[in-house]
Amino acid sequence: MSSFAYFIRESLKGFTRNLSTTLGSIVTIFLSLMIIGVFLVGGLVIENVVSGVENEVSIAAYVADDASQADIDKVEDYVRGLEGVASVTFTDKEQALENFRSSNTTDIIDALDGQNPLPASINVELSDPQLVEQVAGAIWDNSTYQQIRDGETKSESLKYGQQTVEKLFTLTNYVRYIGIALIALLIFIAMVFINNTIRLAILARRKEIAIMRLVGASNGFIRGPFLMEGALHALIGSLLAVGVLELLRNTALPKLQGALPFLSFDVSLNMFLLIYAALVVAGLLIGLLGSALAMRRYLKV
Amino acid sequence: MTNDTSQGVPARQARRGGAHAAPAPVRQTASQLSASLPVLEVDDIPQQTGTPVITFDHVTKVYPAQPNKPALNDISLQIYAGEFIFLVGHSGSGKSTFIRMLIREVKPTQGHIYVADEDLTTMRNWRVPYLRRNIGCVFQDFKLLPNKTVFENVAFALEVIGKSRHVIKTQVPEVLRLVGLQDKLNKRPDQLSGGEQQRVSIARAIVNRPPLLVCDEPTGNLDPQTSRGIMDLLERINRTGTTVLVATHDREMVDNMRRRVIALDRGHLTRDQDRGVYGFDV
Repeated sequence: MSSFAYFIRESLKGFTRNLSTTLGSIVTIFLSLMIIGVFLVGGLVIENVVSGVENEVSIAAYVADDASQADIDKVEDYVRGLEGVASVTFTDKEQALENFRSSNTTDIIDALDGQNPLPASINVELSDPQLVEQVAGAIWDNSTYQQIRDGETKSESLKYGQQTVEKLFTLTNYVRYIGIALIALLIFIAMVFINNTIRLAILARRKEIAIMRLVGASNGFIRGPFLMEGALHALIGSLLAVGVLELLRNTALPKLQGALPFLSFDVSLNMFLLIYAALVVAGLLIGLLGSALAMRRYLKV
Repeated sequence: MTNDTSQGVPARQARRGGAHAAPAPVRQTASQLSASLPVLEVDDIPQQTGTPVITFDHVTKVYPAQPNKPALNDISLQIYAGEFIFLVGHSGSGKSTFIRMLIREVKPTQGHIYVADEDLTTMRNWRVPYLRRNIGCVFQDFKLLPNKTVFENVAFALEVIGKSRHVIKTQVPEVLRLVGLQDKLNKRPDQLSGGEQQRVSIARAIVNRPPLLVCDEPTGNLDPQTSRGIMDLLERINRTGTTVLVATHDREMVDNMRRRVIALDRGHLTRDQDRGVYGFDV
């Protein structure tokens, strides 16, 4: 236990010895972990959105303005008979405009100048989201719907959640790749910084190390202070990152939710705590690995 | 350990043939040399009895930088507990390699080294520190930490092997009294003379009471007067039962003390002689 106190004492000396490099490694660890944290939270939000869309998968079959009510009823009846359909409702042009008005600013509707470009639609709620392709195909193949459809192609006439989900997925994939590349780069830089800081610490103490080896200090005892120093920098960096993320959660997240009401930022506190714990552990790993690399190269024991 | 020389000498000579494998003609000149000098009666030369604490068994060391010129070539010898040994030879004769192999800084290319029945060539790395705790080391350049006081320098050796504060508080002043520095506990190395600094470094080497003390040119930087003081100190340490091995250039010292001398020349063991003399270019 006394040697543990010695490790801490020696690693704290590193702060005064090489303040600039110590700060450098702390800041890089802090930045990389914070960005990792932001990406993790962002990933959770997107996950929320995607699962939300998936759960309320519905099909909107747009109907031409000149369609007769009889044809519309026929199609509705046909759709009701399909497997996996929970309910069918009809939205006329006026209602469509009203829905649009409620979810968007009034400026656009004012700019329409009293005209209504929105088509009427048959809205199909599904009991089983898996069947969305099948139901959409069946509607498209229906001969009555072919006469009253609004739009030339299937994707123009039929809108269903799957397309939104797929779009979201491609988007999230891009974000994920960029995030992973960025995180890998930052982790690499953080390790280089830690490596360098520990190298300087080793060089500053090489005389002491030589004597320690001579009088038979065990390898663990010689390595301890340097591992501790790397871990300490990483711990400080990761705690800073956790602190800033917590601050963002309390201040920026409600504002963001207010500005983007269609996204759900409702991430549970437990999830946040899990992310914080993961960040601290990752930081410690980066710190220990960085100093272990430096010791491998510069510290002969 | 007995001081009865009459019994010890024949036994030692009997072992000579095998253990100390020095070339015969060289030994002859060497013994003639020592015959020309006055015979000193040294009563406390310990007996080479029991099992040797150090055994070199056909040890060869070749450094990669000089593959055709071995630093040590087929060295075989034995060192017994309580001996005082001079290791002499010119620069580059392999003295330092000998010492570095003893504390396992380097491993032999061929052959085996046994220290206290343990083979250094097969010793696991994690055991090396425990070997070094049993070997005190003193060097020409003292290797003291300039920002620590005398007391702290000696205490450091105990601290880093995990000795308690109580042990440090009792053992450090005691060993500093032994080397005659009890009044300079709080001085820094740059406030001390060369001889005093070497005493601190000896104190650090023996504070953990190792059974073996190895000195690489301990008097290389010191004037003859101071050197004598250091040698007296080493001899006193030897009298407490510590085996002492001194690599040196100091002819006068070796000739005066008449202890066992191991001479190396370009990696070869040229002479191994009890109560020997320095012996080169005479």
